[in-house]
Amino acid sequence: MTLTVCIGSSCHLKGSKKVAQTFERLITENNLREKVNFHAAFCMGNCQNGISVSLDDTVYSVTPETAEEFFRREVLSRI
Amino acid sequence: MSEYLYADIGYQSMSKHGEIVCGDHVEKIEKPDGSVVLVLADGLGSGVKANILSTLTSTIISRMIAEDLPISYCVHAIAEALPICSVRKLAYSTFTVISISPTGMANIIQYDNPGAILVRDGKEFPLPFVTTIIEEKSIDAARVQLQKGDVLVTYSDGAEHSGVGPGMSYAYGWGRDNIVKFIEPLCHVGFSAKTLNTILLDECYRRYSGECGDDTTALTVYMRTHEQVNLMIGPPSNREDNDKMMSLFFSKGGKHIVCGGTTSKIAANYLKKPLEVKMDFMDDDDDMPAMAHIEGVDLVTEGVITINRVLEYARDYLKDNDSYTQWCYKRDGASQIARMLFEEATDINFFVGRAVNPAHQNPNLPITFSIKMQLVRELSECLKQMGKNIRVSYF
Repeated sequence: MTLTVCIGSSCHLKGSKKVAQTFERLITENNLREKVNFHAAFCMGNCQNGISVSLDDTVYSVTPETAEEFFRREVLSRI
Repeated sequence: MSEYLYADIGYQSMSKHGEIVCGDHVEKIEKPDGSVVLVLADGLGSGVKANILSTLTSTIISRMIAEDLPISYCVHAIAEALPICSVRKLAYSTFTVISISPTGMANIIQYDNPGAILVRDGKEFPLPFVTTIIEEKSIDAARVQLQKGDVLVTYSDGAEHSGVGPGMSYAYGWGRDNIVKFIEPLCHVGFSAKTLNTILLDECYRRYSGECGDDTTALTVYMRTHEQVNLMIGPPSNREDNDKMMSLFFSKGGKHIVCGGTTSKIAANYLKKPLEVKMDFMDDDDDMPAMAHIEGVDLVTEGVITINRVLEYARDYLKDNDSYTQWCYKRDGASQIARMLFEEATDINFFVGRAVNPAHQNPNLPITFSIKMQLVRELSECLKQMGKNIRVSYF
């Protein structure tokens, strides 16, 4: 599966780096390097609802606070 | 046929400890034909009185030399114009004039200032000074054809005397020979004139233990070839102009910088190359946005936040240049753009797209269209003050 974090200007200001760092840590902790294709992307055009995170073709809104919970709920459950 | 060179110029002054204004003054005039006239003047004494003398001297001489008047006229005009010091019964300011033609022919005229230093191929190249007496003043003049890579340095006597004073660690000051030895190995590194000049003054400051015993000013000219850098930010206001903007941008010689998420997508599309966002941004403790890579583009970065940081660096560069210690080595987008624009580039073309990003018009976001336009305007103004040739095109 492909997990993408938006790091466009707007999401950057809202803390997308923290979200990316959380995902990176969880991927390492759970040994998912082979299973999750993790990327960053410039503006996904969804700034109002940022921080934008896409999982395959679905776009979600995540904050640094909800990043870990999101990862466990949406990513880990599908592995 | 001589190759057209670019005279990269840097200068800065440090005031005598305890003085608010500096008694040295540098005046620069750029003539429409591409030649430049520089005058470094050191007024008698220090503080406001010295400042008035040196400002008057450098302003009058630079204007007169720029109008191609002979130096004897200038010396006469100064003698007539300067107010006489009530304490010393003298009207006095030393000066050094450097005028450089577009082909790099330099005329150097000195009156009582320490001798200018020309470094060529890492060694001092003796300037062929000839002394004449004008109005009882001994004036040294030299004419030399400058070459690519030449570094010409001049300074007020505060630099040669640095380290002398009560409680200071050096009995005889720095001295010309030691300054030459200090500058020579720095000249082939490729530092900009401003950076070389800052390194020289920092050393003076260090030798004075942070309390300059005299006003200290240095002026550095670095002769280099023109280096063009092109920077594109923002998509065009009309989507149909995408290809036009891209083809104009990529047809320019020199380096190419693309700023902005949407803009880099358009560039990647145009070049038919993938846009890869670099993941190493997470290791950086700084809060700068990530960068990306497109084959055929030298640098791909985020837009407004990055350029805003570059503007902060540019403003500081024109003042104290303290943030040099940051952007001179860091890998983030703003530092890399700063290095390319401030140090490498002599000619910069901005390609500015006026599209309004609908996502940025949210009142909760600190990014607006007008901020982007303002950033580009202010940055190009700062770069002009650095002596760069700037062209801005809007799409």
